[in-house]
Amino acid sequence: MRRISFNLKQYSRSVLLIACLAFLGFSASAQGDAAKGEALFKAKCTACHQIDKQVVGPALGPQMTSETDDKFLVKWIENNQALIAAKDPKAVAIYAQFNQSNMTVFPEITDADATNIIAYARTQWKTDQAAAAKVPVNAAPVETGPGSLVIFALIGVIILAFIIILVLNKVISTLERLLLKNQGLYVEEVEVEKAPVDRYAALKKLAKNKKLVFFVLICGTVAMGSWTWVTLWNTNVHTDYQPVQPIKFPHDLHAGTMKIDCQYCHSGAYKSKNASIPSLNVCMNCHKVVKTESPEIHKIYDALGYDPATTKYDSTKARPMQWVRIHNLPDLAYFNHSQHVKVAGLKCQTCHGPVETMKEVYQYSPLTMKWCIQCHKRTDVNMKGNAYYENMIQVHDLIKRGQKVTAAAMGGIECGKCHY
Amino acid sequence: MDSNKKYWKGLEELNKTPEFVEKNKHEFAEPIPIEDVLTGGGLAGATPRRDFLKALGFGVGAVTLAACQKVPVHKSIPYLIKPEEITPGIANYYTSTYEGHAILVKTREGRPIKIEGNPNDLLSKGGVSAQAQASVLDLYDSNRLKSPVRDNTEYGWSQTDNFVKKELTAIKAGGKKIRIVSSTISSPSTLAVIADFIAQYPNTKHVVYDAVSYTGIIQANQNSFGKAVLPHYRFDKADVIVSFGADFLGTWISPAEFIRQYVQNRNNKSLEAKKMSRHIQFETGMSVTGTNADVRMPIKPSEEGIALVNLYNAISGTTLPGSKKLNNSNADKAITIVAKELLAAKGKALVVAGSNDVATQILVNSINSLLGSYGTTIDLDGASRQYAGNDAGLVEVISEMNRGEVDAVFFLNANPVYDYYKSKDVADGLKKVRLKISFATYADETASLCNIIAPNHYYLESWGDDNAIEGYYTIQQPAINPVYDTRQAEQSLLLWSDNPVKEYYTYVRNNWDKNLMAKGGLSGQKGWETLLQTGFVKEAEKPAGTYTFSHDLNAVAQTIIDHSNQIAEGNKMELQLYQSVAMRDGKRANNPWLQELPDPVSKVTWDNFAALAPADMKKWGYVDGDLVTIDANGYSVTLPALSQPGQTQGTVSVAVGYGRTSAGPVGLNVGKNAFPFYSLRNGTFQASAPATLKATGDNSPLAQTQTHHSIEGRNSIIKETTFKEYLKNPASNSGKDEEHKTYSLWDEYDHPAYNWVMAIDLNACTGCGACVVACSAENNVVVVGKAEVMRRREMHWIRIDRYYSFNDNGEGGTTREKEIAKLEDLDNVRVVYQPMLCQHCDHAPCETVCPVLATVHSSEGLNHMAYNRCIGTRYCANNCPYKVRRFNWFNYWNDSRFDNYLQNEHTQLVLNPDVVTRFRGVMEKCSMCIQRIQAGKLKAKIEKRPLKDGDVKVACQQTCPANAIVFGNANDPNSEVSKALKSERTYYVLEELDVKPGIGYQTKVRNISEIEA
Repeated sequence: MRRISFNLKQYSRSVLLIACLAFLGFSASAQGDAAKGEALFKAKCTACHQIDKQVVGPALGPQMTSETDDKFLVKWIENNQALIAAKDPKAVAIYAQFNQSNMTVFPEITDADATNIIAYARTQWKTDQAAAAKVPVNAAPVETGPGSLVIFALIGVIILAFIIILVLNKVISTLERLLLKNQGLYVEEVEVEKAPVDRYAALKKLAKNKKLVFFVLICGTVAMGSWTWVTLWNTNVHTDYQPVQPIKFPHDLHAGTMKIDCQYCHSGAYKSKNASIPSLNVCMNCHKVVKTESPEIHKIYDALGYDPATTKYDSTKARPMQWVRIHNLPDLAYFNHSQHVKVAGLKCQTCHGPVETMKEVYQYSPLTMKWCIQCHKRTDVNMKGNAYYENMIQVHDLIKRGQKVTAAAMGGIECGKCHY
Repeated sequence: MDSNKKYWKGLEELNKTPEFVEKNKHEFAEPIPIEDVLTGGGLAGATPRRDFLKALGFGVGAVTLAACQKVPVHKSIPYLIKPEEITPGIANYYTSTYEGHAILVKTREGRPIKIEGNPNDLLSKGGVSAQAQASVLDLYDSNRLKSPVRDNTEYGWSQTDNFVKKELTAIKAGGKKIRIVSSTISSPSTLAVIADFIAQYPNTKHVVYDAVSYTGIIQANQNSFGKAVLPHYRFDKADVIVSFGADFLGTWISPAEFIRQYVQNRNNKSLEAKKMSRHIQFETGMSVTGTNADVRMPIKPSEEGIALVNLYNAISGTTLPGSKKLNNSNADKAITIVAKELLAAKGKALVVAGSNDVATQILVNSINSLLGSYGTTIDLDGASRQYAGNDAGLVEVISEMNRGEVDAVFFLNANPVYDYYKSKDVADGLKKVRLKISFATYADETASLCNIIAPNHYYLESWGDDNAIEGYYTIQQPAINPVYDTRQAEQSLLLWSDNPVKEYYTYVRNNWDKNLMAKGGLSGQKGWETLLQTGFVKEAEKPAGTYTFSHDLNAVAQTIIDHSNQIAEGNKMELQLYQSVAMRDGKRANNPWLQELPDPVSKVTWDNFAALAPADMKKWGYVDGDLVTIDANGYSVTLPALSQPGQTQGTVSVAVGYGRTSAGPVGLNVGKNAFPFYSLRNGTFQASAPATLKATGDNSPLAQTQTHHSIEGRNSIIKETTFKEYLKNPASNSGKDEEHKTYSLWDEYDHPAYNWVMAIDLNACTGCGACVVACSAENNVVVVGKAEVMRRREMHWIRIDRYYSFNDNGEGGTTREKEIAKLEDLDNVRVVYQPMLCQHCDHAPCETVCPVLATVHSSEGLNHMAYNRCIGTRYCANNCPYKVRRFNWFNYWNDSRFDNYLQNEHTQLVLNPDVVTRFRGVMEKCSMCIQRIQAGKLKAKIEKRPLKDGDVKVACQQTCPANAIVFGNANDPNSEVSKALKSERTYYVLEELDVKPGIGYQTKVRNISEIEA
């Protein structure tokens, strides 16, 4: 079944794309409407094409300008596979050039639509080139603001200057005092010695007050004790742990602004014990075309050995991406994501916090056993519509007795349920 | 009827040796040096207070400093491009084949971590042998060759290819012989590759031999019926089985399959149908098959042939020339009884012999023919292809090499320098061969004498197929990319013979497309995919043809008698060679799981030994472990002696498969090589010879797991009855009729949802040990090595206890205590095996003594063990009446002392990621595979359905070829386990302690007939 639907999907996609291209060709020959073409281009073609550079498919600007046979282009856009099947030499050449990857067929694109797309591609390419010609070749790189190094250096210089000023001031005052002394104008302050004697005396008096000493000692012990207690309890608890990651991946943008479902990337959470960090091919689903200029995205390309100019992968240059693990559950505790996400229906945020607002992810929950058990004791088992629980005598007994059906009541806080 | 039958774990216990009695009084095996501490330089020392304060100060300081460690930064490295079929955390299963059995390979994140049986496997229906279970570990063995080798230096594949091809072309032009020496190959594709190679180099011959040979049977069938095949035996169709030295439940031909067949007529289901087969074993050493027999007759190797002649006489009613009575009146009597029983069960009888002598096997054929076994219990048409070696072929090749007629020789899965009886001949012959190539995965004894070693892939990395029995074809597919720079031997042969097909995968695929897929009604790409899912194709079963033996037996009988006379030369001892159940022919000597698997009968690990009858030991004043030099056939080895009840007097048994001199660090020099004791007689290798024994005066203790714990004279551990009694009363001897009033100190536990329990059928368990290895693989159980086993620190979560008892001569399993003394006939002992693992008692004594509540009871009837809570007081182990708790004396996984047992970074890849490894100072024990229970429940929850019986299978249950172990939920009255526990035969071990164990055992039943004397 899966295979059939997969085939269908592939087929329909190529149909769409071809129709789109064919339409482009037709409209160009008929001097089509570039404005209409732009709308169509953005709707149908940008998944794989750009005007000025090669993405999945060829750069359409130069390709469509150099190819003057509009009829061919229109046919190609509408149904490229028919052309290839008919062994059209040009079509076969393109097919071979792009590693025999199929372009989508677009049956819904009419000849007029295709002509419009072609017109748009050509005019856009012309304007782009004209604009490019105006810009000098060795244009200065865009000012991106001072780097962090510069800022640190500045701060350093300021601090240094401040210290120098202080030192110089001190020197000046010493010199002045010396000058005054020499001139006999400086009067030594004789009373100075008395003041500390008084102060120590007060301290000594306080020290003799046994009640006070006792009180202070008690306070100190209690303070130290509670500090030790709290520190020990929090040993190896890393709430708010926020390490620097190799790629500055903004969860707030992806999960927040873009509202991408967590499981799109962390697909394991539904099926497996590991939520799994997405492999980079998941990133490439979008970032082959989205934000290709960003240096952060280029880190993905580098890791994959992907060259955005040629859109080729070079596996010899690939190297693994080393993320820093934030949620470190010890080996001795078994945790299964699917049990909590799929069966219990928990939201990711319950444990991971407001990830959709985090620019960089940090550890939200303490991940201590106490924290686990508290939740197991308080949370009702999500058994609605789940025949596993509905047919369980234990559950019925609990309900009959008027007790809550929590994970704990179902044995969820027994040692061996997590430690094996 | 009471059961005063006396059981004993070892001779020390039986004889109450002073050492044993002394040791038994103590709680610990070795004295604890408390006395030394309290007296002498201990607390009474000169400056204890100052030293104490110093130590305290240093200790506190050191601990504080050690604690001031930064938390390590953990890296998380995802796939760059994740393969579609892999989800981290979820296992994938691939079908494959191991020695002709269809298996499933469990992989996690692309790493094979366990072998599981394919439930549809024709041979063992999901059962997997200990060897197959252990085979996954060898994949990660860092001692495997990592690239081709030429004259002991690493060599690239392209250079190797150039060199070999140039040489082969020159050799072809020269016209001298090329030989491919291999052990039996039952893979149709490999055979086709070799045939193609021979077509390219016509002066090539393929020579097949097996380290432990079955040539005798094959040639006997050629002589008797004109079919040079190893028959497919059907123990499931036999009501009376008589075996002369064939260890068919341990090592003979296809043990995992035979166990399944054999147990089918002896397990609970069969008993409830009032049916039980009868099995009589005549043998020299105590084999695992002999221990399972209803009647076992110890005979000398020299008596085996005569006994068969007598059996023939008794069945046919004629007298063959040279027939004589045995010196052994018991055996003589038994022969006449057996003959009657066999005749009574005509058509449902089976006689097998382990001998490799052609004449003996012809005689066995004639007996089976008289009994009408052909077509019923013996299938000559659907023959077995598991062994096809021809001993004479190997001998011929070696003489050809020594004559300088051979220019090139290839060794494929063959190691004659180790396992041929005249090792020196092979080594000398190899010197005269121009091109010697081995495909070995290790630089073994033969490979290290070759110019080129072209290391083969491991079977888990290879494409291939197998054809264990006629009409049953299994497919092998790789479950991992090659770990090292190795290449499949078939691929090498294809390249060297300029085959038009360059890839072995394509070759296998073509072969299946053309020849094999149609046999299972498959075709095309779709058929291929189906095949990879199911793992095998089988042709429709053809009824086995009947064959009648019609040859003159006079010459045969004469040969047999002559042979017997040769073995019984003078007054010498008779030596018998056998394969140990764990080590078999020694090919897997570098596998620590197998080395540490105790031999089912002797319970010896990490060694072979000279098994002697207790009477002989006593006669010569030997004690266990005394080194004796055995001299036979011009070869001698020195081995520790072991007093083995049941061993025939005047014989000594030695296991082959040990004493590797060129294996990895695990198997190197473990035991002594016994293969050179073999001799060639009438063209076949013979495993018995006259021998002399001499004590050296030294003692080298054996690492046995047997007498670790005494049974303290309790008689509620093993319960045994006879089939006769069982028919009268199914509950006979199970203790059901002894009602007691019980009082409990403890509250009852509630098991609201599940109550996980187990039922073990002692009548099905053959003691093979597959469960022990399966458990080690599933639960990351460590190997501790010989020295630690001797300190009684082996870590197996499940062990198989072996109890001896005296033969009560059919008196209904009852022997009065005072009568035992009269019955001390150590040649005729009976054995009961009992798998022993944590009983998950409801009133567990371990739980009440744990000071830190590290071991507690669950609401599902399990006894949980929280390792991270354990502080290592070992109170629980001391309080456990079943002695199933294991203590981690070392941090085995990170201790260089235990590296040798393949506990290194390579083999850590075999660990089950769902089970944590345990640290030093922590107690561990069977968890009833709680990871599987939890996974099973989760799967049901995700699929929104109730948990079904059989969803959860524990590792030992899953691998058991006998299906002796049933696990499940006792709250479900319809579950398999509930039904099994309802059996009248069920009893609980040490029931009188009222600890309410969760594992019920079913009584051992022996089919002892009345006519036995």
